[in-house]
Amino acid sequence: MDGTAFLGAAAENLLPARLQMAVTLGAHIILASLGVGLPVLMLAAEWRYLRTGNRHWYVLTKRWSKAFAVMFPIGAVSGTVLSFELGLLWPEFMGRWGSVIGMPFTMEGFAFFLEAIFAGIYLYGWDRLSARAHWYIGWPIAIAGFFSAFFVVTANSWMNVPSGFQLVDGTLKNVDPLAAMFNPATGAQVTHMILAAYLVTGFVVAAFYARQLLKDAHNDYARRALSLSLWIALPLAPVQLIIGDWSAKVVAETQPVKLAAMEGLYETTAQAPLHLGGWPNDQAKQLDYAIALPGVLSWLAYGDPNAVVLGLEEFPPEEVPPVAIVHIAFQIMVAIGTAMVLLALWGGIAYVRKGSWPRSRAFLWAIWWMGPCSVAALEAGWIVTEVGRQPWIVQGYMKTAEAVTEAPGIWPVFAITIFIYLALGVATVLVLRHMASVPVEEVQDGS
Amino acid sequence: MGPEDLLLLVLMTALTIYALFGGADFGAGVWEFTSAGQSTEKERRHIYKAIGPVWEANHVWLIFVLVILMNGFPLAFAALSRALWVPLLLAMVGIVFRGASYAFRYYSRGSRTELKTWEALFAIASTATPFFLGASGGAIASGTLPIDANGAFRGDFLTGWMTPLAIFTGFYEVGLCAYLAAIFLAREAAAIDDPELAPLWRRRALSTGLWMGLLSASGLVVVWLEAPGLHAGFMSRGWPLVALSLLGGIGSLVELGRSNYLRASLAAATAVTAVVWGWGVAQYPLLVPPSIDKDMAKAPDNVLWMMLLVSTIGAGLLLPSLAYLFILFKSSQALEEVESTTRLKGGGESASHSTA
Repeated sequence: MDGTAFLGAAAENLLPARLQMAVTLGAHIILASLGVGLPVLMLAAEWRYLRTGNRHWYVLTKRWSKAFAVMFPIGAVSGTVLSFELGLLWPEFMGRWGSVIGMPFTMEGFAFFLEAIFAGIYLYGWDRLSARAHWYIGWPIAIAGFFSAFFVVTANSWMNVPSGFQLVDGTLKNVDPLAAMFNPATGAQVTHMILAAYLVTGFVVAAFYARQLLKDAHNDYARRALSLSLWIALPLAPVQLIIGDWSAKVVAETQPVKLAAMEGLYETTAQAPLHLGGWPNDQAKQLDYAIALPGVLSWLAYGDPNAVVLGLEEFPPEEVPPVAIVHIAFQIMVAIGTAMVLLALWGGIAYVRKGSWPRSRAFLWAIWWMGPCSVAALEAGWIVTEVGRQPWIVQGYMKTAEAVTEAPGIWPVFAITIFIYLALGVATVLVLRHMASVPVEEVQDGS
Repeated sequence: MGPEDLLLLVLMTALTIYALFGGADFGAGVWEFTSAGQSTEKERRHIYKAIGPVWEANHVWLIFVLVILMNGFPLAFAALSRALWVPLLLAMVGIVFRGASYAFRYYSRGSRTELKTWEALFAIASTATPFFLGASGGAIASGTLPIDANGAFRGDFLTGWMTPLAIFTGFYEVGLCAYLAAIFLAREAAAIDDPELAPLWRRRALSTGLWMGLLSASGLVVVWLEAPGLHAGFMSRGWPLVALSLLGGIGSLVELGRSNYLRASLAAATAVTAVVWGWGVAQYPLLVPPSIDKDMAKAPDNVLWMMLLVSTIGAGLLLPSLAYLFILFKSSQALEEVESTTRLKGGGESASHSTA
């Protein structure tokens, strides 16, 4: 195979391979987030049960752990798929950078294994352990889940800000895996993602019970479940706003072109405005229909309303990511994040004044909507990170097109993948719905 | 002995444990596949129960194999990902269906048809996955994958992996899984003193064992004919392990004949371990024969040392936890209790399953 044929195969593969990765990762990120968040909810409910002896908390713990038990193995296989795909779709990437970026994956292997072991003990051990011991056994699941997410996201942050190595005449030198893991993007990105996992879990679970309360306002069981899940979701929403700001500051410093794409900022500007909404117009090199808040972007990114923010014009066109996708995804994430903060304010004010979350139907409706919206925000944020890094797979060092496999048949593989993942998604939802359809009153021993 | 050798020991250990425990899990599904239509509800329940709460853990070992290659021997990982595009892709599909259908089958409250669908998917995926993983191993062991020293693949992506040894190893691996599972299920049946299941699984284990003996012998012939490099390795270094695996295999048959299932499973485990290590030892120091050896593929030494440190700390956390898991659910009796209390109640077929 000569050089041109090689490039041809790789170029054709780039789009389907990226779509394949997007679909499999996009599905996994939901399951993984619930895998990180649900154990915390289970522990909280079980703790309430231990403290109060109230049967509802017991039933709730059991049901949440059942849902966890269904989703955990699906998340495990979708994660296994990704570890295969890293090699199958991106062999150049792994062959070249495996020694630098592999360490967090090794660590994640152990963290995930611990999570699986303790999940097994927790789920099957209700009658083999004392009530208190059973609660303690749940902790390693939550802790290992946290660290799984931590390790994996350090690998992704390295792709954004590669560190911990030197390139001398094309050869890797002085590889330092710890410096690679703890690169300048790690802190903000890891915190942002783990908080997102808890937020999504909290809002998705809350949405489910908000729906039940909309149907039957006197359902005490659903009221308790909603209250507990809101305790995870609402307090974290404003925290995520601050972390998101931190994250944007890091992006401004380390990936200015990504920030410009996120904001749809074509020209380098002092007193750069923050754009709300808007449609990037690549022909006219301007953002149409946006509301501009002068100086706010400069202030948010650099703490100075007069600071100069680099526009897309500063970068070679072939190194600029698809602006429309990145900008719109970013707007979606920010809009939903803002809505979360407003919901948190609504809930928080009511809680301070009345000592309980709002009971109005409007609030329940809002929570119900926020469930799917929080998942959309999760996906949008991930699109910003990944698409905003294009055309690079390793920012500044390796283009995604250089990393992709030359293997044939990626489009059919992608088509089959969509079919399989859709089928599994539908099946998961059906199994969960079946589970949830057992009336609480009929539950004898909490199953 | 450098850090890469120590790491290869870790890799081989993970691979061995996966072959044993993951293998037995796959084997249970293989039995469901091969006995479809003949087996009774009771037999199927026996299979599912034996997999039980530890099934998840048994399959994480494969992830270790992947990440150790990826992190410690990235060139080999990339080369194998290219050359084994088709079998690894198919194994991946198998893993997805196996894991998902097991979970759905276990927790589904759906109709009988729905359960049957998941059971069928589980059985097919449990058979296909070890076949393609085994074929991948066989393709490597053939020593004829057209891979350059820089990891580039010069062969046909669709058919380049299909060596005679690869196809043989695919079937051989499925057989190994079935054999391990049969012994394990015989032991479980004997432990609960079941008058129907115990002799059934003893008979199945014995006949599978005999077939595996024949296959092993013919496998040596295939290696001799098709993989001269591996054959030379067997003759010079690997022969004690080849002998050990034959001894283990024969020993497991003898102990099965005497209905001593614990010893039979230990002997069979010895045989499988010796097969895996015999392959590794015979091929050493090549990771991807004929072109990539450990020194070409390895990550820098400080990375390897850190991986060893991480593995040591990780093992220090893992092994006690794993031991606790197994002790907590060790006996069949315990599983019976778990079954009856954790399975969903009050709805449709799954309830009648659990009381069947």
